[in-house]
Amino acid sequence: MTSIVDSLVKSFSSFNLDIAVLLPVITLIGGTVIFLIMAVNALIAVYFERKISAFMQDRLGPMEVGIFGFKGGKKFWGGIGQTLADAIKLLVKEDILPNNADKFLMILAPFIIFTGAFLTFIGLPFAQNIVISDFNIGIFYIFAMSSIGVIGVILAGWSSNNKWSLYGSMRAAAQIISYEIPIGLSLLLVVLVAGSLHLGDIVQWQADHRWFIFHSPFTFLAFFIFYISTIAETNRTPFDIPEAESELVAGWMTEYSGFRWALFFLSEYANMLIVSIVASIVFLGGWLSPLQIFNIFPDSWLILDGPAIGLFWVLFKAVILIFIMMWFRWTFPRLRVDQLMYLCWKVFIPFALANLFLVSLWELIF
Amino acid sequence: MSEYFSNIIYGVKSFLTGMKLTLDHFNNKKERVATLQYPHEKWPIPERNIGFDHAEYNLIRSRLHVDIDDCISCMQCEKFCPVDCIKIDFIKPPKDSDVDCGITSNDTQKKMIVSRFTIDMSECMYCNLCVFPCPEECIYMVGGPNAEKHEIDYEFSQYKRDGMIFEFADATDDMIRDAGGDKWLEQRDAKLKKNSEGVELMGIVPEATPVQVAAPVLETGTAAAKPVTAVKPLGGEFDIKSLNGIADKMCRGIAKKAFMAAKRAGKDTTAILADVAQALSDAGKMTEDIQSILDGLSAPSPEAVTPVVETEGATKAESVAEVPPTTEVKEFDIKDLNVIEDKMARGTAKKAFLAAKRSGEDKVEAVRKALGDAGKLDVAAEKLLNSFTSAAAEPSQPTAVEKTAEPTEEAAAESLAASEPAEDLPLFEIAELNGIDDKMTRGMAKKIYMAGKRADKSRTEVIADLRAGLTEAGKLDDATAAILNNLESGN
Repeated sequence: MTSIVDSLVKSFSSFNLDIAVLLPVITLIGGTVIFLIMAVNALIAVYFERKISAFMQDRLGPMEVGIFGFKGGKKFWGGIGQTLADAIKLLVKEDILPNNADKFLMILAPFIIFTGAFLTFIGLPFAQNIVISDFNIGIFYIFAMSSIGVIGVILAGWSSNNKWSLYGSMRAAAQIISYEIPIGLSLLLVVLVAGSLHLGDIVQWQADHRWFIFHSPFTFLAFFIFYISTIAETNRTPFDIPEAESELVAGWMTEYSGFRWALFFLSEYANMLIVSIVASIVFLGGWLSPLQIFNIFPDSWLILDGPAIGLFWVLFKAVILIFIMMWFRWTFPRLRVDQLMYLCWKVFIPFALANLFLVSLWELIF
Repeated sequence: MSEYFSNIIYGVKSFLTGMKLTLDHFNNKKERVATLQYPHEKWPIPERNIGFDHAEYNLIRSRLHVDIDDCISCMQCEKFCPVDCIKIDFIKPPKDSDVDCGITSNDTQKKMIVSRFTIDMSECMYCNLCVFPCPEECIYMVGGPNAEKHEIDYEFSQYKRDGMIFEFADATDDMIRDAGGDKWLEQRDAKLKKNSEGVELMGIVPEATPVQVAAPVLETGTAAAKPVTAVKPLGGEFDIKSLNGIADKMCRGIAKKAFMAAKRAGKDTTAILADVAQALSDAGKMTEDIQSILDGLSAPSPEAVTPVVETEGATKAESVAEVPPTTEVKEFDIKDLNVIEDKMARGTAKKAFLAAKRSGEDKVEAVRKALGDAGKLDVAAEKLLNSFTSAAAEPSQPTAVEKTAEPTEEAAAESLAASEPAEDLPLFEIAELNGIDDKMTRGMAKKIYMAGKRADKSRTEVIADLRAGLTEAGKLDDATAAILNNLESGN
């Protein structure tokens, strides 16, 4: 697996540039790419979220705003420019900081959350060779970086000097830290079987054997534990108790407005994309084509399995998982705090531990 | 321990049930969607809103309207307006000129030409004080007791504030010039120019040239004035209520919207129907039922009127002879003459009409003669008058036939009654349906009855509709069927 940074260094090496110049340039290019991915992802995901929620509630959703007069029809694409207009509105909004807030921390917090999501993308492969930097401990790195955000959440809640914010951030801290355990345990199970922390190796193992979701009943269960826990980790309904708008206004985001709030939003949807891509890589075969599973297709079809089409399959699987997240959101009511903790500590963690033990036995026997 | 696992299984089950429900809604979107995209689609307005007839309201303060043909520019309303939202300018023709300013519905000779009659509805406080002093009763709040004069206007919101200034005067520049209003025109143009210069000073791109500044005002003026002139001739055979036959609420709304838009643009019946059909098929709502309704409406007006009259003449064999012949001409009203475009001709026609009305002559002939003498009888006027002569002549034929067949009338009526007993019975009362026990069925039956009544269906047709509708809903039990049979046989 060659990363984008590697190939950039290789192609720039002909210019004979000093490494002190070359590195910032490459970092800047990589960073811009990640930021664009995050921004575009937020724009599209928010539009889909609004439309899907509308359809599930027998509404129409945004139907008025087009892009330069182009409105995408009378149904799903009807308000295609809505999120773009929303983003512009957010960026030009007045930036409000409460008088009694801890201003330094309050300004710092959204950037910490954003940085958490941003750094995660560095190690996240979109296809076989499309990854900013190819870590050999990739899954460990992603897992570590995606937990950084909780520091920003606590800072945001504390510095706002608002009881709703503080409640929200306390809940968020409790929730995110708890749910990291089942996530870690179910990822550990995959690492244990594949014998590597490198995401490329994990996909290679799946290409050689089978997708992890079909590997054994235990990994099948582990996929669901992982997926539901990541929904809790990204603070999405039904696990949205940290921002619970009917209880806590907007939780730890209450006092934020304008650009800083947009950063929270960007990170939230970036996190959705991250966990979906991780789930599709680790459990659903990553850039492998689903056609491979059923060994019945003629060879000519395997063109759908080449490295060129890998990006499509990763995003395809991720989009389906994101759709299911949105589907959850508009189906289930919010859990109570104690129910949330019950689900984590009394259901997921025992099952994940048992899984880990049983899958080890499974590996010994088969 | 088993409770722990059964809890998990129960949880997963209810989880899947919930997911299935939302996915179901996600898929079956089209029929279930509850949103009505307001400015683009509108619910049809119920004919009676809170259970009163329009005439029973003291007043509905919806929007001021002026029948400009009746305005004698007495300036009373302008003087009475507490917020000065009415502005009237008029041109008085010089004494020796032969400009005819027209005549009002109350038979008052107008002496002036109204060159400007603007009402700023954004300033109006709906006190209704301008209405009382008007000697010609030409300014009024639309809707309610005035619904016959002008349909109620629930919504006249605009994107620009200028849109709230309604211009009612319809005098063209030529007419004003004829009446010696050159100076007034100069002043008006100077003012418009000044306004547009002001707009340019603000740094706005001068897209609003003087002509274009004038255009919106004139447009609103014609748009506001047109309904009075253009709609009335349609009133007899095709109006918005004809669309009530469309069963689906959404479709009806779309059709009515298209109808109103076309009507405001001053189109004729065929063009309006074409517009309505177009709007419906654009929205993908065109069904065979609606198509047949529209086809029924698109039949030329005299033919549309005569069959009804003929069947009535046949069915009400006895009663026709007693109806006084004057009622046939009654349909020809002075307001029908408003369709005549030329103001002078309209004035002449109205004068002749009133003269004929007083002397009891045939009004149509009198108007035709007066217009012919003045050399104003153009094709449109001829057509209008012809439509009335044919409408008036048709019913008289059955009576003539009836009179010749008088000796055998009773025998004929009896034989008719024997062969088709239901045919000559009038439509039964809605109260007859109260015999139906089941509340749901009764409601459904009454709905069908009202739809039939509105569509002027005959007794047999309504009963057939009732049978079909109730059978479809699976509500036609023995008792209901018996009631319907009784009604059919005329008990």
